[in-house]
Amino acid sequence: MAFAVQDSGKGPAAALRVSPHAERGGLKARERRVGWLFLAPALIAFVAVILVPFLRALGLAFTRYDLQTPVPEFIGLGNFHAILTSPEILGSFVTTAIYVVLATAGSVLLGLSWALILNQPFRGRAALRAMSLIPWVLPSTVTAFVWGWIFNSRFGVLNALLTSLGVIDYPTAWLSTSGGAMTAIVITKVWFSVPLFMSFFLAGLQSLDKEQLEAARVDGAHNLALLRDHILPHLKPVMLVVIVLGVIGNLQHFDTIFALTGGGPVRATSVLSIEVYRRAFDQWDIGMASAVGLLWVATILPAAWFYLRHLLKGA
Amino acid sequence: MFDLSTPLARAVFALMMGLIALFLFFPIYWLVISAFKGNAELYQIIPTLYPHKLSLGHFTNAFEQGHLLRNLRNSLIVSCSAAALNTLLALYAGYSFAKFRYAGRRGVMILLLSAQVFPFGLLLISIYPIITDLGLIDTRLGLILSYIVFALPVSTYMLYSYFSQVPSEIIEAARADGASELRIFHTIVMPVSIPAVVTVFLYGFMWSWNDLLYAMTLIVSEEKRTLGPGMLLSYLNEVNSDWGGAMAASIVASAPIVLAFAFLQRWFIQGVTAGSVK
Repeated sequence: MAFAVQDSGKGPAAALRVSPHAERGGLKARERRVGWLFLAPALIAFVAVILVPFLRALGLAFTRYDLQTPVPEFIGLGNFHAILTSPEILGSFVTTAIYVVLATAGSVLLGLSWALILNQPFRGRAALRAMSLIPWVLPSTVTAFVWGWIFNSRFGVLNALLTSLGVIDYPTAWLSTSGGAMTAIVITKVWFSVPLFMSFFLAGLQSLDKEQLEAARVDGAHNLALLRDHILPHLKPVMLVVIVLGVIGNLQHFDTIFALTGGGPVRATSVLSIEVYRRAFDQWDIGMASAVGLLWVATILPAAWFYLRHLLKGA
Repeated sequence: MFDLSTPLARAVFALMMGLIALFLFFPIYWLVISAFKGNAELYQIIPTLYPHKLSLGHFTNAFEQGHLLRNLRNSLIVSCSAAALNTLLALYAGYSFAKFRYAGRRGVMILLLSAQVFPFGLLLISIYPIITDLGLIDTRLGLILSYIVFALPVSTYMLYSYFSQVPSEIIEAARADGASELRIFHTIVMPVSIPAVVTVFLYGFMWSWNDLLYAMTLIVSEEKRTLGPGMLLSYLNEVNSDWGGAMAASIVASAPIVLAFAFLQRWFIQGVTAGSVK
């Protein structure tokens, strides 16, 4: 891998000389050669660090490979059979689905609302937009600290607020009840996803036809009608991208869930990312972890297909 | 956009704005003021809304104990190297995709972009033994190389969309003058692409600076630990929770990335949302 990096500096230099008198066919061949040379460093890195590990992990899904079996041993669909009969792992899929749906819906709803608000002209808008990005750029450990402290059962500000408002009679142990822990990890994820989603929606709103909107208003359309008949239809393609990106991101998310709950209490927040990590690095059951991981990839594929098709429209 | 001339419309707008702003910014406010409260004030059932007595104790503790500074230094080394490596790789690949036409180009592009959906956690399972076999487990180099996973696909795509907008005529003209392809790229294309290069560097930096999963798995020893796992282990371990310390360390750990964004956010958002909105 280290060699691949050095290549980009010196290797291709000599080969990249172009003669202006080259023939047409020669130009095409040269374009191909130079194109591949420019691509080579990234491609080698990609194959070494992403593609090979990915394919290897898929292969390991069909093996027994754990503490007692130091060399992977092919067992066909054995791991998948074990998965189908394990209520724990099947439960992980359900937990993941709940988490992904709630976190994506929350982020889209708030991201869209916030974009619509920040699209309205008012003093200080630019500063507010810039500030809104902060939750997104914070390190995941910091995000987990921030919300862990807010949700703290004894000294957390949320319990203090809810008890003094009379919403609840006694402080809730948010992170040690299953519903509370799920609420906490969803709110945390929504919090730092809103800025990104907002940015996508704001970019989409910029191409909105203002004259058309004015015309509709002159015809007597009210705010809600404008939103329903003009703004939302215009944002539909962006909406699709945002939802797909949100689903992909949420299916994969690990850091703040691990830091806040570690998958607990018991298994209440053990989403697939946590499940795979625990199987691999706590129990050293690599075969099983890879098998769960393969099914995990399968859940991402439909969203990925939409995303890729969209990205490559112009290429 | 919306017509806010009626009092009702204004009230609804203000209410929505207030609620979402509260949700987005209150946690940050709470983080900052909690760091400046002394322990006596911090651990109260009904908390004070601002520090009645300003205390810098959590900050002086964090710096005196030393581990935070060590974590910071490690994160800085790893994140800068990973970002530089990622930018270098993505630069040439993005240029190749944007300005050259050859068989296989589209296929490689699809492959590279699809990598974004390989779960990082799954890749880690087989990166771990590979890194171990190479003798790179518990080394900064191993972590730096692994961070290619996070940022390379999107970085390449960001640079590809940027380079696509650089007019081909200036490249053709330089070619007609007999300049080599590398020279054209370095002296003509790169200088007009500084915003994109900075954006991609920052993107790579952010991923590595903010990561927890890879850092806590591939680095074992305390002296090489980066911020993510370092802070988690120092402040919220099984023995005790030092929330004041955690808040102070959080401010220190967030400062570099927040400052970088404060200066570069406009470029950045353009880069990240590029191509997704047409």
